[in-house]
Amino acid sequence: MLLTVPAFVLVGALIVLPILQAIYYSMTNWDGITTQWVGPSTWWQAFHNPTMWRALENNALLLLAVPFALALPLAVAVMLHQRVAGWKVFRSIYFLPTAISWVVIGLVAEHFFAYSGTLNSLLHDVGVPRAHTDLLGSESTALIALGITFVFSMIGTNTMIFLTGLATLDTSLEEAARIDGAGTWRIFRHITLPHLSRFIQLAFVMTVISAFSALFSLIFVMTGGGPGYATTTMEFLVYQTGFNQSQFGTAALYGLILFVITAVVGVIQLRLIGAND
Amino acid sequence: MTVMAVVMLYPFAVMIVTSFKSQAQYFAGSGTSTQSWRQLASTMPIYQQLLNSTIVCSASIALILVVGVMAGFAFAKLQYRFANLIFLGIVSAMMVPLQSIIMPEFVNVARFGLTSSYLGAVLVYAALGTPFSIFLFTTYFRRVPDELVEAGICDGLGYWGVLWRLALPMALPAIATVTVLQFIQIWDDLLVGLLFLQNPAERPITVGLAALAAGRTTSIPLLMAGSLVSALPAMLVYLGFQRFLVRGLTLGIDR
Repeated sequence: MLLTVPAFVLVGALIVLPILQAIYYSMTNWDGITTQWVGPSTWWQAFHNPTMWRALENNALLLLAVPFALALPLAVAVMLHQRVAGWKVFRSIYFLPTAISWVVIGLVAEHFFAYSGTLNSLLHDVGVPRAHTDLLGSESTALIALGITFVFSMIGTNTMIFLTGLATLDTSLEEAARIDGAGTWRIFRHITLPHLSRFIQLAFVMTVISAFSALFSLIFVMTGGGPGYATTTMEFLVYQTGFNQSQFGTAALYGLILFVITAVVGVIQLRLIGAND
Repeated sequence: MTVMAVVMLYPFAVMIVTSFKSQAQYFAGSGTSTQSWRQLASTMPIYQQLLNSTIVCSASIALILVVGVMAGFAFAKLQYRFANLIFLGIVSAMMVPLQSIIMPEFVNVARFGLTSSYLGAVLVYAALGTPFSIFLFTTYFRRVPDELVEAGICDGLGYWGVLWRLALPMALPAIATVTVLQFIQIWDDLLVGLLFLQNPAERPITVGLAALAAGRTTSIPLLMAGSLVSALPAMLVYLGFQRFLVRGLTLGIDR
């Protein structure tokens, strides 16, 4: 019993207590020092705030990147699993970006997408001389650039998950199917894919949760949430509302909405695992 | 395959190539120079920031390991009331996004004056990392046979002795996994460092880099040189301990 006390204190004081506080503070006007009770009407107001809906919309749009963040690593993992020449080197290369900070990835991405950046010179080189894209500078395209960077950032982790899954695949099954005349696609569709379902679920949930709660570094470095609110997601809105506008109470409320969303995703995941067992 | 590899290596190539240019050469698109590297240490205090990152990382990981080992052993081997309930509660804390608690957390930590010392950030990192660590150690310690624990206690080792001499050696892979995973996570993190290490002298390197980038006046080659320096330690740890990282990421599905 004594052995669990430090864990209990640490998690209790720094995770559980702040959640309870956030519930209270979400119904107040709070600037970090003085608190003024307002009541549950703050929630009502929040749901009439267009900025919050804009942030949620951005989050929803970013979810469109999730299929890419799964399909690309899946293709890579399947290829790596064939043990092509130099697959160990390739594996290390694909995993390497997992180790570097999203701050660094964001910095490189910012200069890739910039007006005088690599993307435009690449387009120039392949024969689009007038290409002057400025994805990050325009309100309609900044989120696309962020989404692409997000997909890139997830490739390493998801490839790792799929490769682990493939390693548990019984190769004799594949061989038997091949002898029976099944093509590569049919083997993938009917043997590999069903076998990977649990790993795809894990990668899916991790990617969705990342889309909601791990993009802060990328957004901070690449766009600062702009132009306008074009790349402000819920998690960035929490930071902006709290630390740029000093509306601590509203920021706590937004944080709780984020919590509810990720909790729902987590519960769905548990259900899925339960259904499989 | 090769195309993808080129894409994945792209950031590293950009950092290396760009860092060996002066600002003028960067815009001209040709030439090389070591100017950015020579200016780096005077633009951002990289040595101090690397040291800060190392201090914060080591202290947090040490705390995460000690707390995780103790609680993991208790949950796996010592029966007492509500143990399962508490275990479930602590492990589900893994799912709480930092942004959901950041406002009260920040005010609480600031109230104790801990935003101007390493301690505040260390405690926050430790609290965020502990649930996973407990989960991992519990699954490891469950594999230690009960008879072994009882035999150890009969031989007068006591619970601490059993934990230290018998159980811990069996959990070495778990210790490696937690260490590598947390090192990369904490080293690469921005939000906690940004808010809980307010004193520029205690800034970790990732935060220093982001602050420099936010200035918008810093030369791009210089930023790339800084990025490379900040990325190198985590990359080395990753290359050295790849397999522990893989194990950590897919845990919970492998068993």
